[in-house]
This record gives sequence, C-alpha cells and structure tokens, in this order.
Amino acid sequence: MDFLQLGSYSFSSRLILGTGKFSNAKVMLEAVRASGAQLVTVALRRFNRQQAEDDLFAPLSTIEGITLMPNTSGASTAAEAVRAAHIARELSGSPFIKVEIHPNPQHLMPDPIETYEACRILAKEGFLVMPYITADPVLAKRLEDAGCASVMPLGSAIGSGQGLAAAEMLSIIIRESNIPVIVDAGLRSPSEAAAALEMGCGAVLVNSAVAVAGNPPEMAEAFAGAVVAGRKAFRAGLMQKSGSALATSPLTSFLEAKA
Amino acid sequence: MITIELNGEQQVLSGDASVNDLLSIIGSDGKTVAVMVNEHIIRPENRSATLLQEGDRVEILVFAGGG
Repeated sequence: MDFLQLGSYSFSSRLILGTGKFSNAKVMLEAVRASGAQLVTVALRRFNRQQAEDDLFAPLSTIEGITLMPNTSGASTAAEAVRAAHIARELSGSPFIKVEIHPNPQHLMPDPIETYEACRILAKEGFLVMPYITADPVLAKRLEDAGCASVMPLGSAIGSGQGLAAAEMLSIIIRESNIPVIVDAGLRSPSEAAAALEMGCGAVLVNSAVAVAGNPPEMAEAFAGAVVAGRKAFRAGLMQKSGSALATSPLTSFLEAKA
Repeated sequence: MITIELNGEQQVLSGDASVNDLLSIIGSDGKTVAVMVNEHIIRPENRSATLLQEGDRVEILVFAGGG
C-alpha cells in the first residue's frame, strides 16, 4: 500500500480537508465524509454561548477514522503560535499542529521568521509540525532540518483560487525534500489537486474550494478522486515532454496507389 | 464579589468561584473547551480546585471551522 507518512502516522488518503467557510456544520460533516479525508484542520476560537454551533469538536468526533490537525491561525508571533499549539493539543489530544502565522490580513502571507521559530520549538516538544509557508525552497529545507513532519507551501494565496501559481518553486521543494510536501492553499479545482500530486506532492490541503462550492460534498468527492488519480500518475511515471511530434502509429505508406 | 476578564470582557463572579463554576455559569459542560487562566492551561481534573481571583484573565476556547 501507498501511504502518506507523517511522523509515525500513516494515512491512505492524500486529501486533507479544512473545515472553515462552510454554510453550516451539517454540510461540513457531509463534505468531510465524502472527501475520505483522514486529517482535518480546525481553528481555535473563543467560546461564545450565542454561537454554540461553532463548536465543531463534538460533531467531528462522530466521524470515525479522522485525526484533527488544529491550526494556529490568529497567531502573529512565534510565541502566540506556540501557546495556541499547547491549547490545541490539550483540546484535541492530537500531536499534529498546523503552524500558520500570517500577520497581514490583506494578503495572509505567512511570516517565515516567526514560523521557523515556532516550528523549531514545537518540533523539539514532540509535535508533528506542519508549517504553512510560502513556496520557498530554502525555508522548506530549514524547516525539514528543524524537525518538521512536512512542509506545506502555498499553491497561491489562501482562498484565492489561483491554483498552482507557485508551481516552479513547488517542484524545487519537492525535489529537495525528504519529508512530504503538502500544497496548502489556493487550489480551486480538482484538476489542480491532481496536478499537484502528479508533480510529487505528498498531499493537498483544500478548504475554500470545497466549502464554497455549489455542492460541497460532491466537490469533496471530486477532489478525492483527483488526488487518487494524480498520485497514481506520479507513481506510474509520466512520459517526458518533447518539443516535436513523436508518432504513435506506423507512418509507412501503404495506401499510395501503385503507378 | 470579584471581577475577572473572560474572553476579553468583564465578568463578575462570587468570591469563591472555581473554573468549573465559571463554565456552568456560561453554559458550557466543559468537555469541548480548553481553559487558560493568566496564560496557564487548566486541565479538566484541576478545574474544580482552581479558584478564580480578582483580575484573572480567563480564556475559554473551542475548535471552530478553519483551514
């Protein structure tokens, strides 16, 4: 079998699903089920009695076979992210933490310096650290050396639907990495997810593309299929590109009229 | 009576209120929340023994949707 290996955890699904932006918890749960995702991200938020339906812990616990990957969204420094990780682990019991430190709400680009510092600390503490980063091969290598379980470079900006705009840098990161590379953010369509897996990404993390689709559970299923196809294609080995045509049929003439 | 800061807002409590008391006052069964008092995590088994003091900063957090 072909597993996504993160620390000592093995996952048969290479689709990680985010739980934000769904119209309601029921649709979100249907989408999680339809996606077959085994890793699901959640965020921390202050308890609010008026918005009791925001508390997703109990509903997500009803789905068998999923592991929570809390994120540190809301943190703008390494210290805040480390604190968020501690709280998240307390609540989830999961060793996974998605380190997400984006100080600027206009572009949501991750702060590489604070992210590196938080990851270094959390990896030492035994977390399975999954940093959300820009597609920077040097930073990715540094995070691998710091003990991260994976790196999660963006395909394009969070929620932008711009797909694999960073494809060139992603392919360098994949080539250089000894840990799974997971494209996180920016994907809009299943074909982009398939393309990421074909390139050799270990998995993709998708949220907006499913959550705001016309039919989220159906889109979740579409992504699940695309990820399987992309991975299979990667393992099968893609043909080389050629600058010129190379015939697939014999070109010997046999229809020419005899003189 | 004491005044604490709960999730950034003022909350008045009786002088001997524990973290568990606070949870029942705000209508949480405590099972799906994490509690921090002055930036220290209070584990479920310690919530009834942890009494709140004047000026304590309390954060009660849940898991919500996020990517």
